Amino acid sequence: MSNQPVLELKNLTMQFGGVKALNQVNLQVNRGEICALIGPNGAGKTTVFNVVTGVYVPTQGEILFNGKSLKGKNRHNITKMGIARTFQNVRLFGEMTSLENVLTATDVHSKSGLIGSMFTTPRSRREERAGREKAYEILEFIGIDHRADQLAKNLPYGDQRRLEIARAMGTSPEIILLDEPAAGFNPSEKKALAELIVKIRDRGYTVLLIEHDMSLIMGISDRVAVLDFGEKIADDLPSVVQNNPKVIEAYLGVPADAS
Amino acid sequence: MSINLRDSGATLWANANKWQRYLIAGAVILAVFALPLLEGTFLNTPSTPFEMVLFYPIGVYVLMALGLNVVVGKSGLLDLGYVAFYAVGAYTAGILSMHTKLNTWEILPIGIALAMLSGLVLGAAVLRLRGDYLAIVTLGFGEIIRITALNTSAVGGANGITNIPNPPTTFGLKFDLDHPRSFYWIVLILIILTILVIRGLSVRRPGRAWESIRQDEDVAELMGVNTYKYKLWAFIFGASVGGAAGVLFASKAMFIAPNIFSYNVSILILAFVVFGGMGNIWGVVVGAVLLSYIPEKIRFISDARMLIFGLVLIIMMNLRPDGLLPRKKREKIGVAGEKSK
Amino acid sequence: MDFSVLTDQFASLTFDGIALGFIYVLIALGYTMVYGVLRLINFANSEVFMLGSFATILVSTKIFNYTIESDPITGFKLVYTLLAMLLGSMIVSGLVSVLIEIVAYRRLRSRTSNRLTSLISAIGVSIVLTEGVRIATSSAPMGSPRLLDKITLVTIWGADIRLDTLLVIVFAIILLITLDLFVNKSRLGKGIRAVSMDYDTSRLMGINLNKVISTTFLIGGLGTGAAAFFYITVYEMTRFSIGFELGLAAFTAAVLGGIGNIRGAFAGGIALGLIEMYASAVLGTQWRSITAFVILILVLLFKPNGIFGESLQQARV
Ligand SMILES: Nc1ncnc2c1ncn2[C@@H]1O[C@H](COP(=O)(O)OP(=O)(O)OP(=O)(O)O)[C@@H](O)[C@H]1O
Ligand SMILES: [Mg+2]
Repeated sequence: MSNQPVLELKNLTMQFGGVKALNQVNLQVNRGEICALIGPNGAGKTTVFNVVTGVYVPTQGEILFNGKSLKGKNRHNITKMGIARTFQNVRLFGEMTSLENVLTATDVHSKSGLIGSMFTTPRSRREERAGREKAYEILEFIGIDHRADQLAKNLPYGDQRRLEIARAMGTSPEIILLDEPAAGFNPSEKKALAELIVKIRDRGYTVLLIEHDMSLIMGISDRVAVLDFGEKIADDLPSVVQNNPKVIEAYLGVPADAS
Repeated sequence: MSINLRDSGATLWANANKWQRYLIAGAVILAVFALPLLEGTFLNTPSTPFEMVLFYPIGVYVLMALGLNVVVGKSGLLDLGYVAFYAVGAYTAGILSMHTKLNTWEILPIGIALAMLSGLVLGAAVLRLRGDYLAIVTLGFGEIIRITALNTSAVGGANGITNIPNPPTTFGLKFDLDHPRSFYWIVLILIILTILVIRGLSVRRPGRAWESIRQDEDVAELMGVNTYKYKLWAFIFGASVGGAAGVLFASKAMFIAPNIFSYNVSILILAFVVFGGMGNIWGVVVGAVLLSYIPEKIRFISDARMLIFGLVLIIMMNLRPDGLLPRKKREKIGVAGEKSK
Repeated sequence: MDFSVLTDQFASLTFDGIALGFIYVLIALGYTMVYGVLRLINFANSEVFMLGSFATILVSTKIFNYTIESDPITGFKLVYTLLAMLLGSMIVSGLVSVLIEIVAYRRLRSRTSNRLTSLISAIGVSIVLTEGVRIATSSAPMGSPRLLDKITLVTIWGADIRLDTLLVIVFAIILLITLDLFVNKSRLGKGIRAVSMDYDTSRLMGINLNKVISTTFLIGGLGTGAAAFFYITVYEMTRFSIGFELGLAAFTAAVLGGIGNIRGAFAGGIALGLIEMYASAVLGTQWRSITAFVILILVLLFKPNGIFGESLQQARV
């Protein structure tokens, strides 16, 4: 694996009123890896995603994507550059079909806008067809192509979570940020999801993964970064992080030797 | 009942092949074009000849409802100043006919362009606001346009503009008081064009962008939709339709004045959209036809028209927020075949 | 444009502007408090004002049998008549406001989170009330008997300080202080503030939301009703469309001060009253109604949080 950074957070601080949700966080995600971001509730994990995707403007620090600063970039431009995400609480377009959900995302790279669509230019027709093929292919890849024509709100919960991933992939990202994709899954669903995430990585995407399930994390991550109260307290191979006393303390709330 | 009607229509359409579809569409269009022939039947309206009612209010309002539907129904942007674009179209016709020799057909594109321009200006200014603020600001904009017209003597002030010429005779069709059906046919052509364009846009990128904005604007933006741009397009598109309606109206009525373009018109059109079914083209058409025809048919309603429309808004929102013919409530039929090939 | 008007009549414009401003402040309460708890524009509040203004006049003409020709009255009789008019207006407006919440918002609040539906429903209520009154009054304006003689008390820098305008200012200040005490000190007032700060948590904490919301609408309605009485006292005339005209200005005042914020409404109302008076002196009264709209648009564009406002559009993902 190369050590070429796709995403770099430099001294990132995010303050909400009196709360420092992120405090001087440094993080590097390398191309082609599955990097896990863990930490207790309220540690600031989702906030990392929000800051990276432009939902919040960081109080301090910098985010580099492929070496370029994301400062001042619009949310939709950040997505277009190659960063896609899912949401901790499923936020699909419920009244669109699964396919349309993904299509909305594949549209990012489409060149024809309203005028082209209005006059059905050959390019718009071509792009529309290509978009549909691609969206359908992604649904197949994720394994929910049989749901293509169902409204997202009518999908079973697990498929909604998978559709979120499919929609994120629709934007053809370089890095994909998954926010607790296995939340509410049973063990066998979790196992299938872990395999899917590896498959996604093998397809060439870089993955930054927030997850609470340790066994899932340990099984598939190349690297694990740990946040606690907005600060990064560890960043290493899964096996090393697992035995880091600070991490154990953060999770158990007591010093490691005391337990 | 209405849902079933809608669904059986949709099923019929979905199961038809290409030629059958042309046949159905052709027959329906022909029937609608032939409506003026029903003058003198049970459809007759007591105070205004049926043929005239077909053009105004029905035709003009259906057209405007279609335009507003893109803004409110498809994109979820509550525009309470839609009348402003109608006014811009009508006043363009009025002013240009005062100062130039241009005929209606030459004025039409100018009116549309100016309406689009005002849509662009208004949209660029206010579309960063959300929901309710947008509603109030657009309402304010509509009033600004009206009051400005009221206080500008160059456009006749409160007296408005009179003697706006009818369109010239075209393809043997005469356009004047004795030939109201010509106006109806013209507005019908515009309605059909608008429906075709909206249908086309709906299944392509702009339609998805609008839909995603309506459902969850934040997420849409994060999925790469340039929400500002597409909201602006929705506004501009709606404005162009409103502008066209305004030019046609002026050329038929031959007279315009600021009080024609009051806030009530915006509410009227909103009621059509809401009654028929926000976001659904056919719902909106049915809503606009019914709600603009009934007050003409039943005289005593016409003074209480706005009152009834207010009630329509309350009742629909509380009991049937998706309108008479809701947008697709179920899975689309027949699309799977197209892309799984 | 004639700017000399501004300097010649500055003091009197200022005085009238402040009085008008207080009327706006009181109407703005109906918008700002409801926005605070529900995060929704209370679209029908303008009609609460309209009904209050009719109620004020009807109390004097139907209960006390005065007519347009009646001579001004004085003494104790004047005091209780005016108080009855004020109370009549406040009661009608308060009740209507509470009813509006039940008809237009309550059902929808429990069923859907779609703001568009509630907003359209409230617009519907506003139309129904306006049109109902329009039909009932045959679109005719209704004049108010002048019971309070508009005597000039003193003249300061060329401005006539008239009894009616002074009355508005004094009473409005008393009402606003009472309200401020209520919201900050009483239990229900604290409930209102809690809901304004965090709707969901308040619900979890077991605050009776419906009660808090009804109270909010009631207070907003009472303030708006008082405003209607003051308006009639000064301007002596109403019609079905009055709500549309003043309601939007008052809403602008609320936004100007930062919507959801009672003290903001105060600053915004006074500021708008003054601006409108100055602007109509310079541009001519026919442009007065636009002034509010233009200010509204400018504020929303350049300072959407208003003077004291909270942030309007926080995205939370
Ligand atoms: N928009 C916001 N305004 C104020 N505080 C916020 C905001 N977003 C997050 N926070 C605070 O920042 C802290 C970190 O929140 P965040 O959602 O990032 O946690 P998390 O690590 O994702 O937790 P969880 O595992 O529960 O999802 C929390 O204390 C949260 O309350
Ligand atoms: Mg989180």
